Amino acid sequence: MTSVEDQPSGATEGRMDPLTETLVRAGRYFRPGDVSQDLRTITRVGGREADSFYRDRWSHDKVVRSTHGVNCTGSCSWKVYVKDGIITWESQQTDYPSVGPDRPEYEPRGCPRGAAFSWYTYSPTRVRYPYIRGVLLEMFREARHRLGDPVAAWAEITSDPDKRAAYVTARGTGGFVRATWEDAVDLVAAAHVHTIASYGPDRIAGFSPIPAMSMVSHAVGARFMSLIGAPMLSFYDWYADLPVASPQVFGDQTDVPESGDWWDASYLIMWGSNVPVTRTPDAHWMVEARYRGQKVIAVSPDYADNVKFADEWLAAQPGTDGALAVAMGHVILKEFFVDRQTPAFEDYVRSYTDLPFLVELVERDGQWLPGKFLTAADIGDSSQHAEWKTVLLDAATGSAVVPNGSLGFRYGEEGEGRWNLDLGDTVPLLSAYQEGGDTRTVALPRFDDPAGPAVMERGVPVRTVEGRTVTTVFDLLLAAYGVARPGLPGQWPSGYDDGSEPGTPAWQEPITSVPAATAARIAREFAANAEVSGGRSMIIMGAGTNHWFHSDTIYRAFLALVTLTGCQGRNGGGWAHYVGQEKVRPLTGHAQMATAADWQRPARTMIGTAFFYLATDQWRYDPFTADATASPLASGSLQGKSTVDVIATSARLGWMPSYPTFDRNPLGLADRAESSGRSVEQFVTDEIGAGRLKFACEDPDAPENWPRILTVWRANLLGSSAKGNEYFLRHLIGADSSVRAAETPEADRPEDVTWRDQAPTGKLDLLLSLDFRMTSTTLFSDVVLPAATWYEKHDLSSTDMHPFVHAFTPAISPPWQTRTDFDAFSAVAARFSQLAEDHLGVRRDVVAVPLTHDTPDEMATPHGVVDDWRVEGTTPVPGRNFPKLVVVERDYPNVAAKLAALGPLAERLGATTKGVTFELGAAVQYLAAKNGRTVGGVADGRPLLARDQHMCEAILALSGTTNGQLAVQGFKALERRTGVRLADLAAEHEGKQITFADTQSRPTPVITSPEWSGSEHGGRRYSAFVINVERLKPWHTLTGRQHFYLDHDWMAEVGEQLPVFRPPLDMHQLFGEPRIGAMGELGVTVRYLTPHSKWSIHSEYQDNLLMLSLSRGGPTIWMSPADAERISVSDNEWIEAVNRNGVIVARAIVSHRMPEGTVYMYHAQERVVDVPLAETTGKRGGIHNSGTRLLIKPSHLIGGYAQLSYAFNYLGPTGNQRDEVTVIRRRGQEVTY
Amino acid sequence: MSAGNILLWVIVPYICIATFVLGHIWRYRYDKFGWTTRSSQLYERRLLRIGSPLFHFGILLVILGHVVGILIPESTTKALGVSEHAYHLSAVTLGTVSGVMTVAGMAILIYRRRTTGPVFSATTTNDKIMYVLLALTIGLGLATTVLGNATGAAHDYRVDVAPWFRSVLYFDPHTHLIVAAPIGFEIHAISAWLLFAFWPFSRLVHVFSAPVGYLTRPYIVYRSREAVTPRRGWEGSRLPVEPPG
Repeated sequence: MTSVEDQPSGATEGRMDPLTETLVRAGRYFRPGDVSQDLRTITRVGGREADSFYRDRWSHDKVVRSTHGVNCTGSCSWKVYVKDGIITWESQQTDYPSVGPDRPEYEPRGCPRGAAFSWYTYSPTRVRYPYIRGVLLEMFREARHRLGDPVAAWAEITSDPDKRAAYVTARGTGGFVRATWEDAVDLVAAAHVHTIASYGPDRIAGFSPIPAMSMVSHAVGARFMSLIGAPMLSFYDWYADLPVASPQVFGDQTDVPESGDWWDASYLIMWGSNVPVTRTPDAHWMVEARYRGQKVIAVSPDYADNVKFADEWLAAQPGTDGALAVAMGHVILKEFFVDRQTPAFEDYVRSYTDLPFLVELVERDGQWLPGKFLTAADIGDSSQHAEWKTVLLDAATGSAVVPNGSLGFRYGEEGEGRWNLDLGDTVPLLSAYQEGGDTRTVALPRFDDPAGPAVMERGVPVRTVEGRTVTTVFDLLLAAYGVARPGLPGQWPSGYDDGSEPGTPAWQEPITSVPAATAARIAREFAANAEVSGGRSMIIMGAGTNHWFHSDTIYRAFLALVTLTGCQGRNGGGWAHYVGQEKVRPLTGHAQMATAADWQRPARTMIGTAFFYLATDQWRYDPFTADATASPLASGSLQGKSTVDVIATSARLGWMPSYPTFDRNPLGLADRAESSGRSVEQFVTDEIGAGRLKFACEDPDAPENWPRILTVWRANLLGSSAKGNEYFLRHLIGADSSVRAAETPEADRPEDVTWRDQAPTGKLDLLLSLDFRMTSTTLFSDVVLPAATWYEKHDLSSTDMHPFVHAFTPAISPPWQTRTDFDAFSAVAARFSQLAEDHLGVRRDVVAVPLTHDTPDEMATPHGVVDDWRVEGTTPVPGRNFPKLVVVERDYPNVAAKLAALGPLAERLGATTKGVTFELGAAVQYLAAKNGRTVGGVADGRPLLARDQHMCEAILALSGTTNGQLAVQGFKALERRTGVRLADLAAEHEGKQITFADTQSRPTPVITSPEWSGSEHGGRRYSAFVINVERLKPWHTLTGRQHFYLDHDWMAEVGEQLPVFRPPLDMHQLFGEPRIGAMGELGVTVRYLTPHSKWSIHSEYQDNLLMLSLSRGGPTIWMSPADAERISVSDNEWIEAVNRNGVIVARAIVSHRMPEGTVYMYHAQERVVDVPLAETTGKRGGIHNSGTRLLIKPSHLIGGYAQLSYAFNYLGPTGNQRDEVTVIRRRGQEVTY
Repeated sequence: MSAGNILLWVIVPYICIATFVLGHIWRYRYDKFGWTTRSSQLYERRLLRIGSPLFHFGILLVILGHVVGILIPESTTKALGVSEHAYHLSAVTLGTVSGVMTVAGMAILIYRRRTTGPVFSATTTNDKIMYVLLALTIGLGLATTVLGNATGAAHDYRVDVAPWFRSVLYFDPHTHLIVAAPIGFEIHAISAWLLFAFWPFSRLVHVFSAPVGYLTRPYIVYRSREAVTPRRGWEGSRLPVEPPG
């Protein structure tokens, strides 16, 4: 370096005062190093010893790719850092494949919650050893020693009332002792063996939600359950995340765009979805798209985080979104269909919706009512499945046409090549309207009046076909939405500003508080944008609008907006519903593993909501019948039926699954049938007819009908999703509870279901949980097995939000005595098989299978006319109005061997997903080579599934999305049925097999496959139903199109044949709770909502030190200043929320963000952090779900009819909780624990 | 010589000096990252802006005064031609100015520390002990000077306290000198010894890391790594080998 002297003087002139300059110049001679010309810097060699301090802090030995299985939908790939064998921290992966040159990228993805995860590895809450409650372990060891047999020991403990009570009543009171894996596995296996022998396999249940968040961990446990014949409980409907409108409208469950497709939208409504908080890694797409000119609307009752990103905020009152959507639909129908015809929209709805299809009008008591879809059978067509072929009118000729694509073409040889949406030369007639034409005044229900439902009369144009009076769905929709046309009779609104008639913007204003003009303008903009952009208007909808009792009506009103405007099935358009990590992209392979379909079919799967509703005896606290939610135009077929009666009806008709099924052990029913010389069907229906055999759900409190074992893994049932938490604690668990509700008075009790005077408490013999941290569920469990975390196992993850499959990879081996779920279930299965040798052997099990969607079962109920054999007094017919009865052989001593090998049914029967059968022969050969083969035993020569990596490979090899050969083969099979070209969508990847190593090396994009309805062809962003729209492949519905109209009997009973606004349930009317806003001695009554939090993902992270530090920590309830003032509470003071379901103690967060009359208690704040005793009860305060309970909507139990047929997590009653209210009061500020 | 006097004027001084020296070495070796004043400027700056310079420049003058008054023998100043009157005049003038600055600065800082919430929250027990010792020493020092001069019977510490202090440094303590001094000086001396003993364990260590070098150093320092010859694959590891166990 040159010295200062070489430079012209004045180089530093004007930049340094003379004194400083003199000092620094002088200083050059007294210290080492070169000083720069300008005297600003000195350069030295060495002296960096202190660097090692921070370099060491951030040094590591290796980086491992993993992710988090927490059902946040993120599925973000993370780098996990390890130093000296200790996980140190994590950071976001940045190597996502590019999504293209003209748009932002996926990388990096992650949020503060994920970045806090590694805290758990060595945290105090980590479950390090197997735990069993001391009193139980002592009894078990003693009895086992004395009797010499663990099964006999378990039998003794559970059948001796005193012994049973000793450990059941101890649940939730601590007392865990460290056990060995050997003892824990012995006890668990013995309990399973005993329960199967004594009560039947359907008295055991497994609960493990969201396979996509860690597929192998889910599948291995589910595989064990399936092999022994135990039902897996559904979670999507149980979580109330399942939008029932999706099966109703699309015949498909939650097929939605990836977040990269938000970028394609030019008009975006975030409706009840707080995107930056609940879709944190994806929110950037919305923010970036705004810079591209996208207009963003937020609909939210509070000033939520996403509102500040929005161009406009519509602050609709909680639960009233349906009214806003109906009014917007009114504007769109009026301005884009009636006042002016929009060719793009009309072409779309003619081809892709049921709007042009004909509905027969029927006269009842002098009123005309919308009836059933007109079918080919009704007009004299006698072709195969003619009663499943819907009819429309040709616009040119006015004559009836039976177009391709309806359900009648989906099955049977006559439909081969014709199940498609190709209309040929037919242009469907959208409306029966003609100047001076015939009309009828139809009666339609309205529910908007708080005083009660009412009837409105509006005219529709009609035509006559084969002597039947018909109109189109479109005409009925205009009537329901109040869009007038000249010459039609009935009461119609005079204009947008007429608030007296349902449907108009002015009508919704007092309901939602959104100004009428704003609602009309947003609707107009939404549709106008769709028209000019080719369908790029999108609604991101979320749990804020989805967890209501009547969410299906809200969602149908939303879906009407995106289908009327031709947005569904377009990139950048349509519905974007995200409430849970639902999308198992390698779906077929996962299902094979989880249901053990490679060894035996079918597996038992159960609707979680009904299971828990019965098991927790919440049905005993329902003082109202189906009439409370019925249509004023109902025929009365549900009249007087309580909810549990409706469940029983659905079960006995085979609509929904029902496990435990019968009031006796299903093992041996087959033997009894054989010895009686009759077929199983004959035997069972005879026994039922004679009254000797009953459904278990008709007497849920009989000890022989209780669920006896519940295994929970990858889940926190009691801390997170247990709606009616206190009822769970009282009846299912047998612990202390704070239920304050009274049981149903005698007059209002169920008709068909047995009422036992003494409600049982503590029904479960064994609650087993596997977890890596202590949760509300583990604390109430009898046995807790220590699980590996997401940084300690091999697994797979995928999500709706992006098209990649991610790997979990162990950064360290499971520490202490923890084990992966795979190893834990393998150990249980091994011991179970040993014990089964003597106690069970090979048995035959009669499985009652519900009528299943995407199979010919969905043609069981023509026209949706209910044929209840019990009411009619006829003999039930299995498979038609009774569950199918299938005998499955249970080879109990070989459960472990079958668990660990791929069975022969894989290639013999293939794998069927959504009606498409994949032939797995080549994939099985590949797997045998990849994983190796089993040697000896029942699985000799079969591909190995002995380790978690084997199962990863199997899932990838057996799915079309990850095995190009299967995708092409599946599309070819679908081509034969539809007659349209499809296989080219996957052809580019026909030779591609994604391996587990691929997913470990980089996020791996999936292949377009018939398992899903969108296309990734050519690197395209995934959007749902693109294949349906572009390739004319039908939706899996009655008409093969998207449905506005649902003609099942029960849909008419609830008044929801068409989208309609239904307000939140009135808890004052149903349960006698105070009215919202009422101020009493006890406090103020408010709506009680439990949305998702910024500081946790469900209950995960809410106990994490890092996230606790970022939030206030501990239980909190957000409320408005106005409500707070009424009860004289100021910010951070202790309050109690009390209703009939339970008591919650929390601190108030008083914020102007909150609207008056509503409080938020963020979801899943567990009792493990800072929960004091309640003043109201003297017991510990509850969790968020202590203030909720289950309420089941009858229409969710419909089955056996086209798209309204059961499939696992496809359709079922939702465990909704949003309609609840609570009283909030200020409590003493001195709290005790 | 009584045992008490030996304890107070021989044992205590040497223990304190030893603690002061060894304490700093220990602190530097084991608590380098704790070698800090834990600045509270982030919490409060208005009072600090006045109090801190007042105190620090005052205390620097006080230290200068002690060097002149204690370490430099009277004979030296006399030899340099400084008259007793001139010495006394400058000592009293400078002493009063620096004393007032120091006490005023300290008062502001203590007031600030007590009344500003965040600053008080950041005050440790160690700090409190340090404040007591420091304030006691300064207060006593000022009191002896001011009281002496005010009563007109100023004690000439240069005949007893100063020679005794120097004798301690020579390892030949003349205890009788200090014993003869007025009680105020004695207490001041004891409290100063205790302060020195506590010094290395308190924030006062920052005295030895005062950034004097900044006056003559460019703002930005670039330090390159020392040249390292990379280890060849066939060479043994250079990592220190820890003995087993």
